[in-house]
Amino acid sequence: MALRRFVLRRLVEIAVIFFVIMTVLFILFRLAPGDPVSRMVDPSMTPEDARLLMESMGLDQPLWTQYIYYLKNVVTGNMGVSFHYGEPVIGILMDRLPNTILLFTTSIILSALLGVFLGKIAAWRRGERIDTLMTIGALFCHTLFLPWLALIMIWFFGYRVGWFPITGMISPEVWIHPDAGFMAKALDVLYHMVLPLMTLVLIHFGSYLLVMRSSMLDTLKDDYIITARAKGLDEKTIRDHHAAPNAALPVVTSVGLSLAFSINGGALTETVFTWPGIGRELVFSVSHSDYPLAQAAFLLIAIVVLVANLVVDVLYAYLDPRIRY
Amino acid sequence: MISRCRWLSHLCLLFTVMAIMACHEESRSNALKIGLAEEPRTLNIWLASDANSRKVLSLIYQPLYIYDPDTLDLVPWLAESMPMFDEQNLTYTVRLRKAKWSDGTPFTSLDVAFTGRLIQSFKVPRYSSKWKFIKQIETPDLHTVVFHLKKPMASFLTGTLFTPMVQEKEWASVAEKAKTTEKPVAALLNHRVHHPVGTGPFTLEQWQRGAFLHLKKSSYFFGTGKTINGRILGPYVDDLVYTVFGTSDVAVLALKKGSIDMFWWPIQPGYLADLSRQADIRLFTNEKSALYFIGFNLRHAPFDDPALRRAVAYLIDKDFIVSRILQGQGTKMFSVVPAENRFWYASDLPRYGDGLSRENRLKTAYRLLSEAGYTWTVPPVDADGDIQPAKAIRLPTGQTMNRFTILTPPADYDPHRAISGLMIQEWLRDLGLPAYARPMAFSSLLQQVKGNHDFDAFILGYGRLRLDPGYVRNLFHSSNDKSRGWNMSGYHNPAFDRVADRSVTEMDPGKRQVLVKEMQKMIARDLPYIPLYKPSVVEAVRKDRFDGWVEMLEGIGNIWSMCQVKPVKHDGA
Repeated sequence: MALRRFVLRRLVEIAVIFFVIMTVLFILFRLAPGDPVSRMVDPSMTPEDARLLMESMGLDQPLWTQYIYYLKNVVTGNMGVSFHYGEPVIGILMDRLPNTILLFTTSIILSALLGVFLGKIAAWRRGERIDTLMTIGALFCHTLFLPWLALIMIWFFGYRVGWFPITGMISPEVWIHPDAGFMAKALDVLYHMVLPLMTLVLIHFGSYLLVMRSSMLDTLKDDYIITARAKGLDEKTIRDHHAAPNAALPVVTSVGLSLAFSINGGALTETVFTWPGIGRELVFSVSHSDYPLAQAAFLLIAIVVLVANLVVDVLYAYLDPRIRY
Repeated sequence: MISRCRWLSHLCLLFTVMAIMACHEESRSNALKIGLAEEPRTLNIWLASDANSRKVLSLIYQPLYIYDPDTLDLVPWLAESMPMFDEQNLTYTVRLRKAKWSDGTPFTSLDVAFTGRLIQSFKVPRYSSKWKFIKQIETPDLHTVVFHLKKPMASFLTGTLFTPMVQEKEWASVAEKAKTTEKPVAALLNHRVHHPVGTGPFTLEQWQRGAFLHLKKSSYFFGTGKTINGRILGPYVDDLVYTVFGTSDVAVLALKKGSIDMFWWPIQPGYLADLSRQADIRLFTNEKSALYFIGFNLRHAPFDDPALRRAVAYLIDKDFIVSRILQGQGTKMFSVVPAENRFWYASDLPRYGDGLSRENRLKTAYRLLSEAGYTWTVPPVDADGDIQPAKAIRLPTGQTMNRFTILTPPADYDPHRAISGLMIQEWLRDLGLPAYARPMAFSSLLQQVKGNHDFDAFILGYGRLRLDPGYVRNLFHSSNDKSRGWNMSGYHNPAFDRVADRSVTEMDPGKRQVLVKEMQKMIARDLPYIPLYKPSVVEAVRKDRFDGWVEMLEGIGNIWSMCQVKPVKHDGA
């Protein structure tokens, strides 16, 4: 009963926060200098042309009218039409969303798996040379500047060695080919994913490694590990079956939140690798004053993050009976 | 152990497949692979205002006339011959070629009339002003169109006749549906076109959003095998494949690797040394129809004084800007019309400070301002005629000149303009002028200059000027001095307005040329803008793959190239 009340209260809070985010987004974009038409600085365009363009975008209306239309659109799930593409923004975002989820979810999972695996070893061999190497390596990789690393990866693996495609998500040669089936196309996407994945994993595995190492060190001090040793279990079993699963819990929490945030993509990664995802679209829409597209992209991110937070709260309440509301 | 081996074997298999695919990528076909810097915006010709959409749609939708690549004269394209002007009735008669749409149906005068009426009835932005002075479009037969003009309008030849033609069959139903909506123009612009039907050399095969766009040779293109303007037209390639690159770095690597055959985007000077060393890459350098300038706010002091503007013109070292900032990839400008636009360009304009040393520039500017009544606490030139650091310049009224700002776009948007602003600041300070260059986000700059008129001076540029000089009137006519109007400087000259208005309605190109040159002279004398430079367009292609590129103003990316470029024959290949 208490849990149900808590969920209801959180839902109301989320609705209020969402409304505030919606309004702030609307105001922020209108406060930003310039408008979509002012960028079209072709002097052969007459003032009448500019007025017609403004009209076609609905920007000739007073601000409060635009705001009402915007609210109506959000409530009805119709987020409007992109100024730039002239298409419904929902369609555009839904086109890009799977690409972002595919790349970033995979990279988070791989980074976490690698981080947990290496963190476990680093903690188990605390103070040894391998621990020092792993810790320094993790910190080094985590602090690399992503666009630089991405360009280096492209230059080396894509250009010098030529193992992987330089950029993009698919090869036109494969997709144009009349005989290319589903398998060939799926493999083509995987092939294009390798470089961005390697880059993202290199950047992100370090943070998981450090969390895992720290958590594992705490876990190794717990009584049940001493009990396991007293029972005569071998060291590998104690490490992999007793300590590691418990130590990995903070990593799991971190992965959960990262997955929620992954839908905003990585504007830098997506730009350098020309990965057609949400991140690139977000940057593009903001820089081109494409209000409907930018607003919808931010709202989508807000919804996912709010829902993820709710899910985490409920899960905590469900999993840990000590938590009271 | 067994499980680990299985994983390893799976991994090996995956990499083998990838290696095979990598080899597959290297296999070459008769497809011209073009790299773009951004994805085309749309396939809807009425919405397409961006350069990348035009790079695709200009090969699908065709106008009645196009420009000759060498002379920039009108060349009949969908038209069969030059338009015939009847001065008495104010009509132009255009005879059409026997052409077909890409769906095999004939292109007729009805399509031309439909295109015009569609633009007029919807007031399609960007096209409406080119058609609003047409009273009636007559189609006496399927291959003749007669345009009745309400009044003489010079832009008919350089604007209206360059409008891409659309098929009545494709657009009539779209237009009807759009008219029933609350916002007909928005409905027309936002209509999603999946398979555009055009009369051009290529037709759309497939568009994978965010990845590539595939055009195929049209079997109905009217020009195939014909000699037009002395050129035997193809196309000689079966496919065009456009791919998008997020950054120029990656696109240049792709070009070097051979993943693309052409990067349809100007190459930045930083890449040129590397690319010029590549044996398989050819660079093309062409001029742009562009104008980069410093503009002044003539509405208040200090730049309401033409003597000050003239002194500034003397101080600006355009040779330095072109050779050092543009690294030689550009040309200095002295008129608001680019010199390559030969017919309209006035070559006999004053070239303030051109060829003078830094010292002589300063002395000339000092003399001009002294004669105009400006004074200094410490003048820039001492009694012996030697240069010295100037201090505290005063206006002719005796007041100390307040500091003023030169607004520029930020360096990440355009490093050339940002650095030019800083250099101009230093040259002006040599004369004791309290100049401060201030880079500003591009949207903010436009808002401040064009919307609020709250500025002293600014550096802006137009990277793609139309060849018709109608923009000279737009930029400086006093009627355009309003918020968001084109006359950002607030230039008011009744004599200029009179000549500009006459130039709009003058149908005789020779007489209009005289008027346009007169307008340029007035601008060069009054200097609301000081033209600075225009960058060159450097483009790069794989010369081991294709040749036959046609160079013209704006570079090799044009319809002539796409109709003439041929795969290179390799011996023994």
